Amino acid sequence: MNLTISQLSKQYRRDFWGLRNFDLELKPGVIGLLGPNGAGKSTLMRMLATITKPTTGTILWNGDDINKFPNNLRKVLGYLPQDFGIYPNLTALEFLEYMAAIKGMDSKTTRRRIDELLVLVNLVQAAKRPLRSFSGGMKQRVGIAQALLNDPQLLIVDEPTVGLDPEERVRFRNLLSDLSGKRIILLSTHIVSDVEATATEIVLINKGRKCQHTTPEKLLEQLDGEVWQWVIPSENLSALKEIHLVSGTIRRENGIQVRVVSKIQPAPEAEQVTANLEDVYLKEVSQNGASK
Amino acid sequence: MKTYRVIYHMARADFLERTRRYSFLIMIGLVMWIGYAAATGKMIMRIYPDYTGELNSAWIGTLMALTVSFFLGWFGFYLVKGSVARDYETGVGQIMATTPLTRPLYLLGKWLSNFALLGVMILLLMAVAILMNLFNNTPLNLWALLSPLLIIALPCMAVTASIAVLFEIISWLRGGLGNIVYFIAFLMLIIPSIETPNYLPLLDILGFRLIGDNVANAARAIYPESTGAFTFTITTLSTPKFFPFTGIEWKPAVVIWRIVILFLGMSTAVISSIFFDRFSPSHTSLEKKKTKRTNHKQIAFSEPIANIDIHLTPLPASRIRFRFDVILLNELKLLMKGQRWWWYMAAIGLVIAQFVNTLNVTYILLIISWLWITLLLSKLGSREIHHNTHQIVFSTPHPVVTQLPAIWFSAFTLTALTGSGALVKFIMMGNLQSILAWLGGAIFIPSLALFLGVLTGTNKLFEIVYVLWMYLILQKIPSLDFVGLTIDSPWKMYLCIAFALMLASAMIRQTQLKTK
Repeated sequence: MNLTISQLSKQYRRDFWGLRNFDLELKPGVIGLLGPNGAGKSTLMRMLATITKPTTGTILWNGDDINKFPNNLRKVLGYLPQDFGIYPNLTALEFLEYMAAIKGMDSKTTRRRIDELLVLVNLVQAAKRPLRSFSGGMKQRVGIAQALLNDPQLLIVDEPTVGLDPEERVRFRNLLSDLSGKRIILLSTHIVSDVEATATEIVLINKGRKCQHTTPEKLLEQLDGEVWQWVIPSENLSALKEIHLVSGTIRRENGIQVRVVSKIQPAPEAEQVTANLEDVYLKEVSQNGASK
Repeated sequence: MKTYRVIYHMARADFLERTRRYSFLIMIGLVMWIGYAAATGKMIMRIYPDYTGELNSAWIGTLMALTVSFFLGWFGFYLVKGSVARDYETGVGQIMATTPLTRPLYLLGKWLSNFALLGVMILLLMAVAILMNLFNNTPLNLWALLSPLLIIALPCMAVTASIAVLFEIISWLRGGLGNIVYFIAFLMLIIPSIETPNYLPLLDILGFRLIGDNVANAARAIYPESTGAFTFTITTLSTPKFFPFTGIEWKPAVVIWRIVILFLGMSTAVISSIFFDRFSPSHTSLEKKKTKRTNHKQIAFSEPIANIDIHLTPLPASRIRFRFDVILLNELKLLMKGQRWWWYMAAIGLVIAQFVNTLNVTYILLIISWLWITLLLSKLGSREIHHNTHQIVFSTPHPVVTQLPAIWFSAFTLTALTGSGALVKFIMMGNLQSILAWLGGAIFIPSLALFLGVLTGTNKLFEIVYVLWMYLILQKIPSLDFVGLTIDSPWKMYLCIAFALMLASAMIRQTQLKTK
């Protein structure tokens, strides 16, 4: 199973490209898609989900061009859009039954699968309540369940943990890790810790272009010995931000503990610390400039 | 100054949001056709038995004012209604509620936006009126042409705009029930305004009585035998007798009363703020309260998660096999879900009534039954956009080949069931013509609903077109009769159109699957 993206571009207006000359080859695993707002993540995902047509370029699913043969991919696709709705008068159970029917699942399989999914997304007790009474987090969980209904080989999830409480977020991360063995999971998010916890590969994207495609380990190696931490007086923070990339701050009793990405030691009292993905991400975005 | 600014920007944003919808363009097209029909004599005002006015500026303007007051007064409500509901649905209302914006100011802004939207239609009609007057080669008298639209139609639009606001802030009138209440109330209110012995300006919001009295006087001046009773319809008179009409006599009292009606409309919007909950989530509808009460026992949704074993049985790819009956059943469930018991009781009652009545009454009841399902049919094709499920639904396999026919079939099933009393009666009578016309109607209605829903992405256009169409069928206009009510019903043509609409719906949906 593989997904090959070649020279993919999407032009929205004459002077605005959502995505430009994007190449990517994906194999089973969790691929974290990281980028600032407007970077082109959702554009890429919508094209992969066969609901937006590329301006140029191709997407091949096991060798088939999905623009010409979208149904080959749709049969094995699970998609959770960033912004989606539900039918308010249906219950969670009925909504999943409906989605299963239009995904072409047979009745026997459907019932068992829905039962399992309801347990998985922790909605068993709410399954027979109308969806209009669901909270944002509960609707998000229904969205996750529908994406997994057909046991997809390609699972595309756009900001899946939005609205989930911390417990549910952890649960979803574990689920993604468990599912990743035999399928391609494309996870787009702003929450770097979600990617850090689950991704086997990371794609950094900015201004519609791919910046990096590598493993989390290699990404972290790039900042080896370049992340520093120390405490400064609160009033010095603005000045520090002007000369260094500050990737984190924590308020302490004696001032502010800052985390700085720098090739050289930024201050005599600064201590080297282990880099994390947030440091890498912020460095990448600051180097290339945010998309919007 | 600040207040004016707030109202202006609220109304402006709301107005722009609605005028940038595709459905608005279609509505403009429809209104312009109405104007054209009025100005070319296709839509006529007839003084019994067969007197009508000569085509001049005064007659065209008056006829257009009558047309627009009637159609936009009735269907304009459905066009403008929804702006407050949208603020409820999108949550924008709750953001607004956190600002110093007062309830009367908010509602005044909404009223102004509604009024502006209807006002644009009148402006367009004025342009059509001028053009048609010129094409008719009659001398152009601008005041005679435009004054009825300004003095009669515009105040009427002010009232329509305010009633739309009022209906939206009263929770039980916000949805489909409100649409039905307005539909009936509008018709009920026309009668007393025409039939009271004396002219009551405040009752004559549509201006029917004012126009009727002036036109009747003009007719009687030439044809003293005329009764003065008038009808307003789409038809042609076989041997029309024309009378000159110089326009409505604008007495100061008449004009002042029309201005009063305009301000009455505006103040109704402001006064209705006493019913407005200012988007407070604590003021939920009875239905929602009921839902909450019945589910209190189930509240503990978040269970400890650590010990739950994640287990999903793998599905072989071969299990993906489409079964039309399963999809149809689910579409039917989706279509019907949320209907209350009284809705089903009324539908069943109408079916029985179709069966037990005489043929003429059966036809009327069939039309009423098919009107009863308007709000369900209007969701066809637009439901995915309305509920924002299109991304999920459109990324499933073969949505045009599997889901779209199932949507149509679910609607056909509903249409057929609600008209089944008439069908059984026609079969028992051995009336083949009626059976075939019934079938044509049952196929045409869901096709029209699906086409307009897929085309516009909203339910409103179908609701307006369909209800208006059914009204015109009841007026026994043969060219529009797809149910076989009249002998000359061209139901075969509508059957062909139905198939063309189905095909067009599939083609439009195919292009929608992939945004360019």
